[in-house]
Amino acid sequence: MDESAAIAIATRALDFAQAAGAQSAEASVSIVRRFHAEAREDVVARLEGSTGKSLFLRVFLDGRKATLSTSDLSDAGLREAVDRAVTHANLVVPDEYAGLPDDVGANGAQLRLSDPAIRQREPDEKVEEALDLERLIRADERIVNSSGSHYTDAIAASAIANSTGFAAGYSWTRAGRSTGPVALDGEIKRTAHYGTAARYLGDLETAGSVARSAVRRAVDLFGARKPATMQVPVIFERDVAASLLEDIFAAVSAANVAVGNSWLSGLVGSNVGSELVNVIDDGQVMGALGSAPFDGEGVPTRRTPVFERGTLRSFLYDTYYARKLGASTTGNSTGAGIGPSNFYLEPGSMSLSEMIAATPRGVLVMDTIGFATEHASGTYSRGARGFLIEGGELAYPIDEFTIAGQYTEMLAGVDGVANDLRFDASVVSPSFRVAAMTVSGN
Amino acid sequence: MKPGAPPVDKDLLARLLTRALRGGGDFADVFCERRRTLSYRLQDGRIHDASYGVTLGIGIRVVAGESAGYACSDDLSERALTEAADAASLIARGSPAGDIPKVELVTERHASFYNGRSDHPIDARRYVAMLEAADVAARRYDARVVAVNAHVSDEVQEVWIATSDGRIVEDCRPLVSFGVQVVASDKKERGSGYVGDGGRTSMDYFFRETPEALASEAARIAIVNVCAIPAPAGEMEMIVGAGGGGVLLHEAVGHGLESDFNRRGTSLYSGRVGERVASDLVTIYDDGNLPEERGSLNVDDEGVPGQHKVLVENGVLRGYMQDRLNARLMGVDSTGSGRRQSYRFVPQPRMCNTYMPAGDADVDEIVTSTRRGIYAKSFAGGQVEIAKGDFVFMVGEGYLVENGKITAPVRNATIVGNGPDAMMKVVAVGNDSRLARRHYTCGKGGQYVPVGVGMPTVKIASITVGGTQHG
Repeated sequence: MDESAAIAIATRALDFAQAAGAQSAEASVSIVRRFHAEAREDVVARLEGSTGKSLFLRVFLDGRKATLSTSDLSDAGLREAVDRAVTHANLVVPDEYAGLPDDVGANGAQLRLSDPAIRQREPDEKVEEALDLERLIRADERIVNSSGSHYTDAIAASAIANSTGFAAGYSWTRAGRSTGPVALDGEIKRTAHYGTAARYLGDLETAGSVARSAVRRAVDLFGARKPATMQVPVIFERDVAASLLEDIFAAVSAANVAVGNSWLSGLVGSNVGSELVNVIDDGQVMGALGSAPFDGEGVPTRRTPVFERGTLRSFLYDTYYARKLGASTTGNSTGAGIGPSNFYLEPGSMSLSEMIAATPRGVLVMDTIGFATEHASGTYSRGARGFLIEGGELAYPIDEFTIAGQYTEMLAGVDGVANDLRFDASVVSPSFRVAAMTVSGN
Repeated sequence: MKPGAPPVDKDLLARLLTRALRGGGDFADVFCERRRTLSYRLQDGRIHDASYGVTLGIGIRVVAGESAGYACSDDLSERALTEAADAASLIARGSPAGDIPKVELVTERHASFYNGRSDHPIDARRYVAMLEAADVAARRYDARVVAVNAHVSDEVQEVWIATSDGRIVEDCRPLVSFGVQVVASDKKERGSGYVGDGGRTSMDYFFRETPEALASEAARIAIVNVCAIPAPAGEMEMIVGAGGGGVLLHEAVGHGLESDFNRRGTSLYSGRVGERVASDLVTIYDDGNLPEERGSLNVDDEGVPGQHKVLVENGVLRGYMQDRLNARLMGVDSTGSGRRQSYRFVPQPRMCNTYMPAGDADVDEIVTSTRRGIYAKSFAGGQVEIAKGDFVFMVGEGYLVENGKITAPVRNATIVGNGPDAMMKVVAVGNDSRLARRHYTCGKGGQYVPVGVGMPTVKIASITVGGTQHG
């Protein structure tokens, strides 16, 4: 993909915006070529390949803001849509904080975001990869079915331009492998999902490793039963731990803080977590999925310590909420809101198995379902499955229970962080342990 | 409401179908979409921004046996669309090409379940007035209200679906929505409440369901949650509230009856049509033909008319929700359940509006007969794992039930259970079935579509509640 084609579309949209009466404007464009192969048994169940373009435009008139997102990039279609967006801005109440950022630019030409090897792959090779992954999981005799094995990739260019004359772009790639084996535990079907994603092919976990992890998740729970209701230490395995970091991200997003929808409102400078709670947002991690030279409004990305030894240091801002809350942007704009760069909990030194061995009695959570954390109060609750830990060992698998707690108590209770951090998404975490949570079962 | 002129002409759609099948394949379809969405958001007591969105593009699919090839394009030139047809046709490589059919398209139109409205855009000041009215009403409701966020959106999706069996089907789907989120605080505790409504109708709907009423309702829930005590933990009885309780059916049963999982044998309901899967009090329908509902469809995204489907009847599994690909492989007809988020996605079998009709239990008796339980008046959302049927629900507004009385509100309870297990434990079905307020969106395989749910008051003999109060 070609950055200059993306910049050309952005510049054209800016011209239309100014012709329609916008005083200032900003256009972001992505051109993405996507590929997806899904295999099931020895059949290619799905083969998708398309190139898509999308435009996101912000227009400003006297502190009034309107946005446009469109896939119609024809001259006539784009001009009409831009006109409508500008017209609708007239009904917005002027807001002194709305407008383009003060400082734009690109930070880090060497972020290693685009893998030439992905561009060179032939479709047949990629289809074969999905089929191969499917063969690998089915080689285990306990796997009786699958919800599909996938190879996906994307080759893209993203660009941004604004009416101050700023224009910049970059190319990126992404590839992923994932699979969903189904195992038969007596009459119960047990399914699991495991995947890997990276910007570089060479950074992906191997197909063999993905298959092993997926199969382990499906068969480890054989014979799982419902645990008793109890208060115990809970270890969150890496992927589940990342879902908790997503909740923490929501609580430090200035967009939520500004509207009263965060349990961390007013707590900057306060000690909220244990000494082990070091949380970073960093848009400059080499080759990571959340890295980029600039954010969704062209502000250079950077590294922002969010929690240091348990103390909340900073919320994460775009230009608007930074101005509104009297702070500086942290380069976390998505254009339409605030998003993570690479948002993660710093790893510790012990392995997950050492952490389990150091837990006399507790629960290892390997998977959760549900998603509604109440962000105003910081109440966490999920359906879960995993293992009961007794005497530092995995005693037996458990499911059909919930875990619940308050985030303030959970962060204060973090008493172990493992060393298994991987940048395979933009919000990631090593496994960690919380001293006491409510497990609800029988 | 009728769709306007399609963005490409019918002859080109026909040529694309022919082109897509030139390497073989059982059938092909071309999904052409033009969607326009206007929305406004209110924050901090003022109109914060306006958004306009346009989705315009074409998706081309070729089906060969169990395989589907798919390509989409936002570039509507014949050259780009022909490339997309060629990309989709790659899936059929190796299958016998035979005679390449020349497709002639005949236009079909279907009855409308949407509430018609004028084609002229309404004065945009009306959106603004609605949001401002909601803000005032929520703040007036209680002094503890600290923040109000509201949004309104008005969308029209036009689709033209051409299929290789020679049909072109059009639909023009309106969708309006209005939502209010209220945060309340009494210095010590915070709580939030959300209420949304709308449907496949016009903005005039909100003369009936006024922004003031919706905002007051959201404020009431936020105050309830401020006053709520931590949820209990452990097994107890559960009363599921009428209307919004229907999320339970959607998660605990509905997803497991989608035909892709069942054709592949990955659902716990696979191969069980005719078997008992719930207490004999349980009947569940999925219906694409309910007037104005979010999940209603004159035709689905494969050009098949929406239908009323009996999923479970008196506890016995009656059938699955089918799209064309899976129906064909299972030797049955599509039930008009093929849906997609946009032209960028392949269709999947999905729910429309899923509900349980009324039973004969008296609602007061359901409460007075409950010794210790939780009353889940509404759910904030849920999720299910298809293979084993384990589900989880987040209670939006919930109360303790003690000795036959509804008592203290509880905060953020999560319910966990297993689909067939919970459905077998249904011991009373109330006589008060109704559809929920229309704001639900269902996610599956990364695709989001609007749906509806409904339910009478129902009692489940035991369920696990995941709160923090142990003992």
